[in-house]
Amino acid sequence: IPCGIKYDKTWIVNSIQSHCNVPFTPVAFHYNKNQAHFFVQDASAACALKNVNCKIHDEKNQKVFVFVNLSAKPQSMQKMLKPKEMAQLKLTLNKRYDVSQQALDLQRLRFDPDLVKHHIDIILNRRNCMAATLKIIERNFPELLSLNLCDNKLHQLDGLLDIIEKAPKVKTLNLSKNKLKSAWELDKVKGLKLEELWLEGNPLCSTFSDQSAYVDGQELGSPIIIGTEAPEIIKPCKESYKGSETIKSLVLQFLLQYYLIYDSEDRKGLLSVYHDKACFSLTTTLNPEDPESSSLEKYFKDSRNIKNIKDPRLRVQLLKHTKHEIVDSLSVLPRTQHDLNSYVVDLCIQTERMLFFSVNGVFKEVEGESPGSVLAFTRTFILTSISNS
Amino acid sequence: MGDKPIWEQIGSSFIQHYYQLFDNVRTQLGAIYIDASCLTWEGQQFQGKAAIVEKLSSLPFQKIQHSITAQDHQPTPDSCIISMVVGQLKADEDPIVGFHQMFLLKNINYAWVCTNDMFRLALYNFG
Repeated sequence: IPCGIKYDKTWIVNSIQSHCNVPFTPVAFHYNKNQAHFFVQDASAACALKNVNCKIHDEKNQKVFVFVNLSAKPQSMQKMLKPKEMAQLKLTLNKRYDVSQQALDLQRLRFDPDLVKHHIDIILNRRNCMAATLKIIERNFPELLSLNLCDNKLHQLDGLLDIIEKAPKVKTLNLSKNKLKSAWELDKVKGLKLEELWLEGNPLCSTFSDQSAYVDGQELGSPIIIGTEAPEIIKPCKESYKGSETIKSLVLQFLLQYYLIYDSEDRKGLLSVYHDKACFSLTTTLNPEDPESSSLEKYFKDSRNIKNIKDPRLRVQLLKHTKHEIVDSLSVLPRTQHDLNSYVVDLCIQTERMLFFSVNGVFKEVEGESPGSVLAFTRTFILTSISNS
Repeated sequence: MGDKPIWEQIGSSFIQHYYQLFDNVRTQLGAIYIDASCLTWEGQQFQGKAAIVEKLSSLPFQKIQHSITAQDHQPTPDSCIISMVVGQLKADEDPIVGFHQMFLLKNINYAWVCTNDMFRLALYNFG
């Protein structure tokens, strides 16, 4: 279609179809300089299309010319897998699919004995092979959770651009032992909500210090950190309190009594402090992998850092509910001695029946793995008054 | 934020952060450079965080304001980001003058730092 460049694909195809009494499927529609081209497979369609010439008028009431010639198969079609090859590929993929894990192992797919036996060359680095594979995955394994593309000599991930449509549920992607040179390739699969990403054995690894885990921050985008220095140390502020003395002494009294029991041998005394339906959670920012903090194991076990824990079930599990659960989990933590002199207390909200305040301070571990170690903490309390207490 | 490519997001965040610091408290720019960083300021070369901060802090104006007209960002083959900024600035009571600046950003330990920085004012009559 000369001058076809000015027409929108859908409009021109629909217009031609409406003037053509033989249904046709345009293949490889593309624009080349000013012209629009497409291929049709059968001769009858081609003949009918010849007659459409000059029958269509565009918005400016100019005639649209349509010329039809015999031609060879379009380039893209030539590279597509033949139906027999697709069938064999499907069988091969079936063998490599683990239903229980919903995992597909395509490691070294090119050298799979079945494919080699049938002389089918599946080079996943080539778009047509990757596209064929994704097509089979879309049809047969739509619930795929884990995809292993290890050792397939992948230089780029262009073939995975539409993986988010073909295999949207993939959570584990193994791209190790390929030829990926740049971490920017991963931008092509950014739509996936990955929980595990394997990249070792790729040239890009030498440019990055580590990439062992990649979590797609959907609720919170990963923070963009600029600059390496810690900000200026903010001088600690002097104590200042402008509220009522009764509230202040209430809070201080509470803290005194609370930590008296907390620092004692048996934390069960805290049962009288907590409401039946109270909630408690703890978080630590230290890295459990760091050998220096191995002595703080007990704190890691229950650490509920929402930034890292995305699984809603786990989040609920780590939230201690009811006073018994709370006191049980507190009793497991090492014996402590809190330094009340170090406390900085901030009163955030105060209403007739509720007090919301936080305590910053330090405490010492009295026994356990590393007695004598001093740790800093921030603790937030919400107190409500029931009847008179 | 999700529709822009990641290097654009990082580049824009950096640009915003850089000029905010520069216009208000440029002595704190040290945090974005490392010891291997290079700065070329109007043809003069500086290397290393300390030297760069010294040069920037000692620039002879009290007040400075940048206005960005355009910024471009590209990913590099070694996973860095290259950014170019075109804009205008006003120092103290001097007339408004155009400038160009180019940054190369690198990710070190999860934070983005500037390893290369080149600045030129858009002045064409050196006579």
